Amino acid sequence: MSLSEVAVRVDCAHKSYRRNMLVKPRAVVDGVSIDVMRGSIHGLLGPNGAGKTTTLKMLIGLVRPDSGTFQVLGEDSTRPRGRRDLGFLPEQPYFPTHLSALQAMRFYGRLAGVAREDRDRRAFELLEVVGLNGFEHAELSKFSRGMLQRLGIAQAIVARPAVVVLDEPASGLDPVGQRDMRNLMTGLREQGTTVLLSSHQLSEVEAICDRVSILNAGKVAAEGHIDDLLNVGGQTSVRVRGLSGLPADVAAVATDVALSGGHQVFSIPDSAVRRVVDLLDEAGGSIVSVAPKRSSLEDYFARLIADTRKGVA
Amino acid sequence: MGRMGAIARAVITDSLRRQVIYVVLLFAAVMTAVIPSLPNYDLGMETGVFREFALALVYVAAVVTALALAANRIPGEAERRTVYSILGKRVARWEYVVGTWLGMLGVMAGLIAAFTAIVQVVAFFTYKDPMWVMWLGALAMILEMGVVLALAIAISTRFGPVVVAVATLAGLFIGHSRSTLVGGLGAVDLKPFYPSLDAFNIVMPVSYGGGVAPVYVLAMIVVFVGLSGALLTLGVLFMQRRDL
Repeated sequence: MSLSEVAVRVDCAHKSYRRNMLVKPRAVVDGVSIDVMRGSIHGLLGPNGAGKTTTLKMLIGLVRPDSGTFQVLGEDSTRPRGRRDLGFLPEQPYFPTHLSALQAMRFYGRLAGVAREDRDRRAFELLEVVGLNGFEHAELSKFSRGMLQRLGIAQAIVARPAVVVLDEPASGLDPVGQRDMRNLMTGLREQGTTVLLSSHQLSEVEAICDRVSILNAGKVAAEGHIDDLLNVGGQTSVRVRGLSGLPADVAAVATDVALSGGHQVFSIPDSAVRRVVDLLDEAGGSIVSVAPKRSSLEDYFARLIADTRKGVA
Repeated sequence: MGRMGAIARAVITDSLRRQVIYVVLLFAAVMTAVIPSLPNYDLGMETGVFREFALALVYVAAVVTALALAANRIPGEAERRTVYSILGKRVARWEYVVGTWLGMLGVMAGLIAAFTAIVQVVAFFTYKDPMWVMWLGALAMILEMGVVLALAIAISTRFGPVVVAVATLAGLFIGHSRSTLVGGLGAVDLKPFYPSLDAFNIVMPVSYGGGVAPVYVLAMIVVFVGLSGALLTLGVLFMQRRDL
């Protein structure tokens, strides 16, 4: 992967904490390396305590790494200069509650270097994008958790950064808010913005991320394109309607047969696809889909974490 | 200056909505109005005693307010995580520390100026004397509070509000105890190296004299810059090493 293609690079990050001088330091991030491609949405997954937030905090410069390299668009992001093109939404963001949404946006705009003449226009524009129009002059002390989260997103992108780091952006949002958030992130990608997203919402990650890195116990347990990770090699998933049961020749090669919404859903080896399609056609079935078999991200994640834990034990 | 200015402004607006400021201001106003009726007035010394009492009152009020403002500012922002959204931008930690200090210094300057104006009003109506010399005392107090705030902020980058309050008061005591603490060490004279706040103590010349010479004011500013700069540097170093 050439440097010009990489928007965010975390290389060999280490961070240990010790509770006191008598105990050995415990590694919370242990050699994590992540490359995030320009213009992509990259998911950072892992169980609680996996080191996701610490990795992001080191990238932003909030936590001092023991060692490692942290770059955003080729610049050291642990230094303020390297964060020029970076927006950050912390997990469960809090803001000075005496400010109004507009005042807060002006404040963060000023910190992010938005020109004075653009600040108000940008603030109104973003408050509308995140669904807070009409609340510009409301005090943040009156805001719900979800509204603060929306404001958090707005302040993260106030200076039109090329890279946005979002730590649990859907936390505290209702289903509509979560959908809006997904649309916002895909919209950012369409504009060429790179998004690094830490999330526990696996369905959200599966729906929008191009690549994922899964952390466990401070290490990268898996990394790659989401299709490559979830595709089950050599198997094809078939969905067919209009049949009460599978023809005997198809049933002989089918596995994981299930009835879902009036459709027969099953898996077959890749080598049997052509023959099975013909057989279903002859039997009067109407094929809805034929696609490489994928496990869900949730299944993949659970299996990976369990395997890693077994390996550690 | 833009980012530091934004942080300082945020500190000022946040501080101005805190009730402690208005309570202290009201208390000082009432007490100032009461000073002329105190019984132990020496004949012919009324205005001097008034000025001395008023300066003491403003000083105590300023220290209380400085501690109330500074003790929990940075620890509170770290605990509530409001600092993440600030330092997640292109804001250096030194800008955050110095901006916070500038904001608090602005609040203290405004507060001491308000106290002084109240004292002037009371003095004018009581003695028909606006006591312009009180502004010299006010300036000395603003400079001293700048050092006190720098100390409190330096400590608060590592410790919680209780430690900050106790350590700052200890620092204030030490700062005004040079002659007691390093007065008799024989051949080794440590006085020149002592971080003394005595330079800001101009109560006597302001209360009973005509104030201090311009060169003395310059000396106070030099001490203010030196001590505040050293303490803020320490605070920045602490803050740089802190994991948030």
